[in-house]
Amino acid sequence: MSSSRRGWTISGTVLLVFLVLFPALFIVQMSFKSGLDAFQMPPTLVFRPTLENYVDVLQGKFLRALANSTVTATAATVLALALGVPAAYALSRTRFRGAGLVSLWTLSTRMAPAIAFGIPFFLIYKDLDLIDTRLGLVIIYLTFNLSLVIWMMRAFFDGLPRSLEEAAYIDGAGVVRAFAAIALPLSAPGLATTAIFTFLLSWNDFFYSLLLTRSEAVTAPVAIVNFMNYESWEWGKVAAAATMIMLPVVALSVLVRRYLVRGLTAGALKG
Amino acid sequence: MTARWFPTILGPIRQTRGLAGEVTDAMALTTQVSKEPASASIAPAGRTARGVWPVSVARPTRPSWNRARQRVFLVFLGPSLLVLFVVTLLPLTFLLATSLTSLDISNPASRRWIGLTNYREVTRDARFWNSVWIQAQLSFWTVSLQVVIGFAIALLLNGRLRLLGLVRATFIVPMVLPPVVVALIWKVLFTPDISVLDWSLGLLGLPQPAWLVDPSFALWAIIIADVWEWFPFVMLMLLAALQMLPQEPLEAARLDGASRWQGFRHITLPLVKPALLVAAVFRLIDSVKAFPHIFIMTGGGPGTATEVTNFYAYLEGFSYTYVGYASAIIVVMLAVTLLMSLVALRLAGWEVEVE
Repeated sequence: MSSSRRGWTISGTVLLVFLVLFPALFIVQMSFKSGLDAFQMPPTLVFRPTLENYVDVLQGKFLRALANSTVTATAATVLALALGVPAAYALSRTRFRGAGLVSLWTLSTRMAPAIAFGIPFFLIYKDLDLIDTRLGLVIIYLTFNLSLVIWMMRAFFDGLPRSLEEAAYIDGAGVVRAFAAIALPLSAPGLATTAIFTFLLSWNDFFYSLLLTRSEAVTAPVAIVNFMNYESWEWGKVAAAATMIMLPVVALSVLVRRYLVRGLTAGALKG
Repeated sequence: MTARWFPTILGPIRQTRGLAGEVTDAMALTTQVSKEPASASIAPAGRTARGVWPVSVARPTRPSWNRARQRVFLVFLGPSLLVLFVVTLLPLTFLLATSLTSLDISNPASRRWIGLTNYREVTRDARFWNSVWIQAQLSFWTVSLQVVIGFAIALLLNGRLRLLGLVRATFIVPMVLPPVVVALIWKVLFTPDISVLDWSLGLLGLPQPAWLVDPSFALWAIIIADVWEWFPFVMLMLLAALQMLPQEPLEAARLDGASRWQGFRHITLPLVKPALLVAAVFRLIDSVKAFPHIFIMTGGGPGTATEVTNFYAYLEGFSYTYVGYASAIIVVMLAVTLLMSLVALRLAGWEVEVE
């Protein structure tokens, strides 16, 4: 490849990357602009950055919403892992009749639009007084998290050599101990990936929080919409809040980028 | 020494064998232990009594291990299966039951069994059919554009290894962003006055439509946002497929005088077709989920111009409080989507893993 052609492909690629990121970058730069700057066209690239939007947002109820998001997403992740990881191990290490059904079920629950679970959960939660509680959200997040954990971790366990666990059995470790002391530490990267993945899905949830929370347990994605409506479109604040919700997601997802597509096609992809 | 070992070794065997087998096996073990003092003498130090035996006798005890494993595995699996049953199967059954009632949540006393009335109503509901048509357009355009753009960029980037890491890291950004943020970003970009998009169109002398309030542009605004969010998914899947292709057939074709286009058409395309189809099917499945975009950008409007079935059901259930009717819409939608997705996956040559 001649050097001028290489130059073209590199600049072409960089341009492409910029175009793809542009919409996200636009909202980030907007969050650092004061009200007047934000409306300047053409957009000013050199401006005096201000944190006033962030200060305003955090003084309101948004801080509580961020806390709700963090708590529910973390709890949902821990719960899904606690339930799903042993199940994934069992499915990986033995032939169960109906193991295929688990795959099919994973796929089917993934296909169902959120509202299919939203309606029944809403009705049940009304009776159980779980509307507007963090616990309610954590439970409904299991509808997509648990089968995802089982599916992803099973693939990771399948990739571990069994000989190590067999050696452990022979050395006298029990089944539980071989799982906890051998298989689990060896699958730590898979565990981390799965945890991040379930955390992201719960953190990004909009629909369930919209439907099942009112004020106490509102999570950040829904809180943005609320202050959008009541405070008549303060774009700077919207941009600041949006930036705060997306930053942890972007940071975490870069860590799991290799597995992202695999996780998104959970249930159908073999291994 | 032998006497001290006896009960220890017997432990695991007793679980599965009858008395006769137990004795013979134990005898065999005893002889082996005495033949191999080395392996026996390692074992006692700090090990639990239950599982101690020399390597050479592992085989006869395997059946008991397998049985113990099966028991533990059932304990491992049980809670998950129970929870999956409770959080997915039960609610869907409840949804089905609700769809057979006249439930109005503003008036809980309204709950009566009305059989298939809701379903009959759905088939006659013009607004429902309109929502299906809008969903069909949304699905068609988003999936086609994502496949075309994603594939084109994957082909463009294939082989440019140096920058691939950068590309991978940045192209995942749109699809991992919280959907609500994607919707907000595009709401801003489609709002005149504050939008750089609007300004650039003006600069190029192009029309600057009021995207979100103009019935002929609102759906396109949603389509553009969705394409931006998800074309990287297609691109990454295809890039992975392209990189796994063997280079030899393509090179051989080149040597035989095939043009670039012929090489692509007759070698590359058939080889990545499975990945292409699967990516398309997954996008198709997810195209019925564009809820946050519609909720935030257009609210289903103007009029019903962007009211997809999902959104219509949400309005029926939670704005107009007819939950029974909304459930029927969702059941119909769910049945059609599941059926279509499974058929499409099958056709795409991707067998769902069923043992």
